[in-house]
Amino acid sequence: MKFGIFYEISVPRPWENDIEHTVYHRCLEQVRVADEVGFHSVWAVEHHFLEEYSHCSAPELFLTACAMQTKQIRVGHGIVVCVPQFNHPIRAAERAAVLDILSDGRLEFGTGRSATWTELGGMDANPDETKETWDEYTRTIPQMWTNERYGYEGRAFRMPTRAVLPKPYQKPHPPMWVAVSSPGTEIDAAERGMGSLGLTFGGFAEQEEKVNRYRSRIQDCEPAGLFVNERVATVNFLYCHPDNETGIETGSRLTGSFGYLAAQLLPVREVHPTRSYPNPGLLAATRQQAAQNPGEGVSAPEGVCIGNPDRLVEEIKKWESCGVDQINFLLNALETIPQEQVLDSLRLFGEEVMPHFADDKPATTSESRELAATVAAGD
Amino acid sequence: MPINGNADPGQLTQYAPTMASLDTEALTLPNVKVLQVIYEIDDAVMAELIPPALHPTIPPTMHVIGLRADDGPLGAFTLAIVRVGCRAAVRPRGLPTRAVCTQGEAATALVERWGFPITVGEPVLRERYDRQSIEVNDGNVTVLSAQLIDPVPIGNGDLLYTAGMHIANVERDGETKPWLVQVDPEFEVSRADRGTAQIDAFDSGYWDAPDLRPVYPIVASYTTANITLPRIRYICDPLQPAITGTVAL
Repeated sequence: MKFGIFYEISVPRPWENDIEHTVYHRCLEQVRVADEVGFHSVWAVEHHFLEEYSHCSAPELFLTACAMQTKQIRVGHGIVVCVPQFNHPIRAAERAAVLDILSDGRLEFGTGRSATWTELGGMDANPDETKETWDEYTRTIPQMWTNERYGYEGRAFRMPTRAVLPKPYQKPHPPMWVAVSSPGTEIDAAERGMGSLGLTFGGFAEQEEKVNRYRSRIQDCEPAGLFVNERVATVNFLYCHPDNETGIETGSRLTGSFGYLAAQLLPVREVHPTRSYPNPGLLAATRQQAAQNPGEGVSAPEGVCIGNPDRLVEEIKKWESCGVDQINFLLNALETIPQEQVLDSLRLFGEEVMPHFADDKPATTSESRELAATVAAGD
Repeated sequence: MPINGNADPGQLTQYAPTMASLDTEALTLPNVKVLQVIYEIDDAVMAELIPPALHPTIPPTMHVIGLRADDGPLGAFTLAIVRVGCRAAVRPRGLPTRAVCTQGEAATALVERWGFPITVGEPVLRERYDRQSIEVNDGNVTVLSAQLIDPVPIGNGDLLYTAGMHIANVERDGETKPWLVQVDPEFEVSRADRGTAQIDAFDSGYWDAPDLRPVYPIVASYTTANITLPRIRYICDPLQPAITGTVAL
C-alpha cells in the first residue's frame, strides 16, 4: 500500500487579502511535510471555474513547484483534461515531459475528460465528444513521447510530422492513469493498460468489485502506452488525531465541506443529457457523503480515514484487502482545518499509520526508470 | 461557503398561492409532452432571484418548461413554467417564478395541491418535426418564446429532471407565511429528444423575475412521459439554510 496526497486547492470566499496566495503556499508546505514523512505521491487536479471548490487550473505549475521543493515524493497529474478546448495534446505531452525532467523522473500522468457543465460549457466543449477525444489523447501522447518525430491525422486533432520535445526523463515514458469516477471506467483503464485513479468515495464492496473487474480485464489489455501500469488508487479524506473522537469530528467537517461545495457545481448529466455521461460521477458520491455529515455530529462513514491512528490502520487494511494499491488523501477544503492541524495530522499519520503497511516508501527515480525500462523490454 | 440567495421571500410571492393543506395525494398525468429549455443566466442578479435557503448553481441557470397533457385526470391543458436553477443544500432544485396554464380546473389543482405559482393564460406548445416550442403571449406581446431546434433521439434514461421548490403561503402552527414546498415529480419517460436551445423572447417582468436575463444556451429536451406529482414530503423555511430549515411532513 502506498499513500498519496490529493489537491483540489479549495479557496473559501471572500477572495481577498491574498487568500489564494495563502492557500497555495499552505499546500506547498503540506507537500514538503508529506515528502519528509514518506508519502509516495502528490496529485493535483485540473479544474476550471469551480468556485471555492477548486482553484487548481494550472496543476503543471503547482506540481513543478512541488517537485522543486521536495526530494522523493512523486508528482501526479490527477488529471490532465484530454479535451482539445482545454489542452492541445501536443502541449499536454510537452508540459508533462518538462515536468518529468524537472522532477528527475517523478511524474505520474493521469488522464481524464471533466464531468461538469461548469467546465465543459465554459470551455465551449461538447460533452458528447469527450470520451472520444480522451481516447485519442491516450493513444497519441505516448507516441509523441517515444518517437523522435510523430505525425497524426485523427478526429480530435491532426499534426504533420514533427519532433515533440522534450522527451520525458522516465523511459519509455511516465506511468499513465485514467480518472475513474463513473462506474465502468475502470474497464476503460484496464483495457488500455493504464492505472485506475479512483476519484469517488465508494464503500468497500463497490471498490472490491471495481478492482476485480480491473484486474481481470487488464490481463488481456492492449496498452495505450509502451507498458502496463497495473495499479489501483482510490481517493479518501485524511484527518489523523491522537484522540479518535476529535479526529472524526474534525474530519467530518472536512468531508462535509468538500461534499457541500461539490454539490453546487453543475454536473453534465443534470443539464445536458448524453450517453457520454451516464452518471453524475464524483459529484453524486460526494453529495451523498455530504448529506450524511453536516449537522449529524460525530460519525465516520465506512472507509473514511478520519480518526485516531488505530482507526485509520483498521480502515486502510480493509482497503488493502479490497485490492487497492494506493490511497490518495484530500487534506482540506475551504480551509476548514487550520494549517498546523493539517501538518500535525500528516506527521502523526507518517509516524503511527504508515509503518503498518509494507512498501510505503516512495519509489526512487532510478527505480522507476529501471522498472519502466524492464517492462518496456518485455521482461 | 457557497453564495446564498438574498431575495426577501415576501417579494417572491406575487404569484405564490396559499396552500390550505399540504396533505396532497399523488397524481399521475399520462403521456405528457415536456419541453425543457435550459440557459445560463446573467450572474449579476443570481442571488436576488432566490431566497436565503437556496444557493445559485455554478453557473446560474434557468429552466423554461412547457408541458401539454392531452388527457388525464385534470383534463387537457398546457402549462408554461419559468424556474431558476438552484441548490437546496446539496440537492438540485428549480424555483418557479411564475407559471401560466390554459385551463382552470388543472390550474386550480396544481396551485392548491402543489403550490405552482400559476395564472390562467394561453401558453402554446408546438410540436414540429424540426423543432418544438413553447410560446406565451400577454395581449399582443410575446412574453416567452423558447424552442428546441433540430431534435435528435436520446435514451429515455439519459434525462434528469430536477425537483421544484415552490414558494407558497402555508398555514402552519397557526401562522401563515411563505414556505418552500418541495415538489419532486417522477418522470417515466417513453420517448426523448435533445436539441439546440433557443430563447427568442423573454420578458423578465412578466415572469416575476426582474433582471433575469438568459445569456447562454445549454440544451433543450423534449420528452413524452408519465408524470407523477407526489405527496408533499418536505417544506423548507426560505429564510434558513435548507440543511437546517427543512421540515419533514
